[in-house]
Amino acid sequence: MAQDGNIKVTFVSQKIKKIRWIPEDYAEAQCFFTGSWDDEVNNIKVWVLDYINDNEVKYPKYVSNFVVEGNVTEIQFTGKNVIAVSTSDGKVRLLQISEYERKTPLKEVFIWNNLHKIAGRACPCTSLATMEGDIATVGEDGNVNILNSRRGDITRTITDADSCSLHSVCFIKHNEVITGNLRGHMKIWDLRSSDNKPTHSFLFGGDQLAATCIINHPTQPYYILAGSESGEIAMWDLRVNTFPSTLKAHPSGVTEMKFHPENPNKLLTSSLSGELWEWNMEAVMKNTKTTENWIALQDKNTTQTNTLLESFKPLNSFDCNKGNILVAGENEAIHFIKNFKY
Amino acid sequence: MEKHLKRSDRAKTFVLPNKCFEKHVACAWRRGNSFTVYPRSQTVSKNQGNISDNKILKVRQEILLFIPILRKLINDSNGVFLSLQKVAENTNSDNQVEFWKLSRQYRSIVRSIIENLQEAAEEESDALAKNSLNSYATIFYSIECIWHLCEILFIKNIPGDVVLPFLLEWVCCHFPSHDQTAAQLLEARERGSEDHPEYWDTVVSLIIQGRIDDARDLLRLHSASESAEFKLVANSLRTMPVYNIYGGISSGEFTIVWKHWQAECRAILNSQSLSSLPYLQLIMRLLIGDYTAFESICSKYPSWFYLLGGYVLFTRPWARRRELADAAAACAGLGAAHAHSHLNTVIRALLEGDLHQMIYEIQQMSDNGWFATHLTDMLYHCGKLQVLDEHQTDMTKRLRDSLVLEYGSLVMEHGALWCTGLSYLAACPPEGPRRAELLLERLPLDSEEKAMRIIAEAKKYDLLGVVQTVCACMSARGRGAGRVGAALAWAGRARGAGLCAGAAHAALRGYCAGAPLPAADMLLSAGSTLLMDDTLLLLGKYSDFHRLYNNKEFKKAAKLLISLITSKIAPEYFWETLLLDTLPLLEAEEPVFSSTETYEILLCLELRTKLLTGEKADLLRLACVRNLARTVLLDGVEE
Repeated sequence: MAQDGNIKVTFVSQKIKKIRWIPEDYAEAQCFFTGSWDDEVNNIKVWVLDYINDNEVKYPKYVSNFVVEGNVTEIQFTGKNVIAVSTSDGKVRLLQISEYERKTPLKEVFIWNNLHKIAGRACPCTSLATMEGDIATVGEDGNVNILNSRRGDITRTITDADSCSLHSVCFIKHNEVITGNLRGHMKIWDLRSSDNKPTHSFLFGGDQLAATCIINHPTQPYYILAGSESGEIAMWDLRVNTFPSTLKAHPSGVTEMKFHPENPNKLLTSSLSGELWEWNMEAVMKNTKTTENWIALQDKNTTQTNTLLESFKPLNSFDCNKGNILVAGENEAIHFIKNFKY
Repeated sequence: MEKHLKRSDRAKTFVLPNKCFEKHVACAWRRGNSFTVYPRSQTVSKNQGNISDNKILKVRQEILLFIPILRKLINDSNGVFLSLQKVAENTNSDNQVEFWKLSRQYRSIVRSIIENLQEAAEEESDALAKNSLNSYATIFYSIECIWHLCEILFIKNIPGDVVLPFLLEWVCCHFPSHDQTAAQLLEARERGSEDHPEYWDTVVSLIIQGRIDDARDLLRLHSASESAEFKLVANSLRTMPVYNIYGGISSGEFTIVWKHWQAECRAILNSQSLSSLPYLQLIMRLLIGDYTAFESICSKYPSWFYLLGGYVLFTRPWARRRELADAAAACAGLGAAHAHSHLNTVIRALLEGDLHQMIYEIQQMSDNGWFATHLTDMLYHCGKLQVLDEHQTDMTKRLRDSLVLEYGSLVMEHGALWCTGLSYLAACPPEGPRRAELLLERLPLDSEEKAMRIIAEAKKYDLLGVVQTVCACMSARGRGAGRVGAALAWAGRARGAGLCAGAAHAALRGYCAGAPLPAADMLLSAGSTLLMDDTLLLLGKYSDFHRLYNNKEFKKAAKLLISLITSKIAPEYFWETLLLDTLPLLEAEEPVFSSTETYEILLCLELRTKLLTGEKADLLRLACVRNLARTVLLDGVEE
């Protein structure tokens, strides 16, 4: 295991599904959210990094707790201190954390009950994405909902967007979202058009495997990356309608992908097989020509990858803030990686 | 008969509350170690009067390890356990050192759990909860103590097998006495320290802990330290030979030096020069390993473990690991205190090298088998464990496996820790995976996410049966909820033709009854999944037909429809739909069916007169005839 002095492990007695730094304006983030899953009681917790027992090193300390029914499936920020949380009982909540006193309990700003349902019964809301106050949610019912975080209403619902369950969603533009389903069928939706038909659709690969996460490149948003249940990573250039370049990356499902917020050439991915990898995408991204340049992605050796963490258990989520990375997973531990070079 | 008695001895009796069942009780097992007790009567009673009194009781084992603090132990130690299995897999490298490192990791986990428990106990205001936290801490104290000794005796690679320095370290670590007083006095460095009420006890403690230099320092702080008697004792302490495997002398030589030194000490003692100073006399008696001296101080210590190191030091400093049993017996005989405690039995067993007995004893600890499982596994991999049954067959692997399996199943009982439990079960093939299969199939599938996780874990351990079952379950659920797309997608994952057929039939019947054709998006992109079953293939192709028709590609649509008709894969109930679908195409402005194709339609119609009758059949016949009239002459031209 790559356990060096820069990694601190804290066991927290709950399986964490999502972990998110609370960014500060001019400093390194000190607080973060976690959302748990698959336990008798699940909750959103706020943690702060603090010195415990006069140690030299900081460890996470839990400061407040918000109990939810069902499993937490996604946490995303919609504002500086506001998060959207989706749960497996078909609800989406907007929770606010006090800017000055992180210890005060989270305030529920809005709640959308029964947002996703099959035959009248609530079903899991599997994922959500945010963009400038808009929230796109997807669920096992195959519906897409667009929520407005300022007014707290539902702007648009695409019913039966998919006959299977949807598992991932991402905003491409403020009026365009891309969804991925249980079979790796990706669909792009224009939110302005009123008919419930996708503008584009394509398949992840031939294997009918779920697309577990979708992201776009922070500075070149027409590049879409998706991770699959079997550990593959695919990349599309939406400007040209080409077949994606896919790469067998992790040995098992990709759980989360993220470009480092400070360096768009650095991609990080975590997986069910317990790895956290960093990818140097500079070579891939620099090449502005289309089609041929994806050859770089075909081979793991040509794109430089580096293992940041290895665990025996699946890693569910991670988040980066400057040189600090938080990783959490099924081993009920929060790994705090310091001094990451980005 | 005797065996029977022994059994009932071990059984525990619990009294159910409220005497709710006077008679007629039945019970049913649930998942894991829980069951339900319910009233059941063999005879049908006419008066239903007291039914309201009856209750259903859910009885389950309370598992200590599932409290939040100890969940950390489960997870943390699971990592070490898996590392250990990995190390054990490759046999060529220097495993002994690796094992020792892992053993230390286990101990540091236990240590941090003890700290956590103590912190929690300090913060706890409820006396009862505080008490139980403290008692948990006590359990883990003894676990750490036993593990440490076990590590010294069986896991650590000790050069020359001379165990004494490590034994002293163990005593200092777990049974410290007068530590603080010694530190205080040595810090203050005041002459006349003997005024401290515990001065002499401290000196003696330091000596039996083998901290000779500290003891000499402390003696120097005595106001009479310049006297001849003190110098005599200090000199004896200074000249005490210390055995060192790298010291360049053989153990035989050392024995001679040691005996010589002890003879000198004995001479001093016999010379009566110390007769006026009983404490110095006591020290000298300890130095020569006088059993009565140890006896005399024994009452000052809570148990004989405190004296073990010192006893070995002054009687057999060259003792090897195997030779500690005698010392243990001697020390245990010193005093009655603690003689019958559990820890006593375990440590005696350990020092005697009876690991079987030790494991039996630690299984009785109330930590839900955590300690017994992990320690046994460790010793098993180190190759230090050998257990024979009465027929002299090697039971070691069976013992280790049964403990690991039991612990794994126990952990799997917790809703959130199934993945951890699974990794234990997987570590003991072949029985473990089979058990895992049974347990995994019974996990509640509350979301697709969970189902996918279970599938991923099952694939990791090659439990393909579980993958099938979970997919089938999800498929059935999709069908039940009327979501054909989801049902088909999961059926496709299960690679189950039956499931596919079921879902496809449901969709086709639904369509015949007037519902829209479902899951078009899925069927049009399903690829080779469609080939799994004929009905599914029909559904897929029929869906494609609709697409072509809607796109006004009538020629292609007609071709497809004819191929569906001639392939005869459609179920009975669907023929009517299929045949009637030809109607609009037959009546199209431009003829789309050739004459041969029209004949095919007619043939089908005539062969299945039962399925399409009356007006509809006549209409179709008429359309066919009209189409034939248009096309019969065209045919030759087109081809």
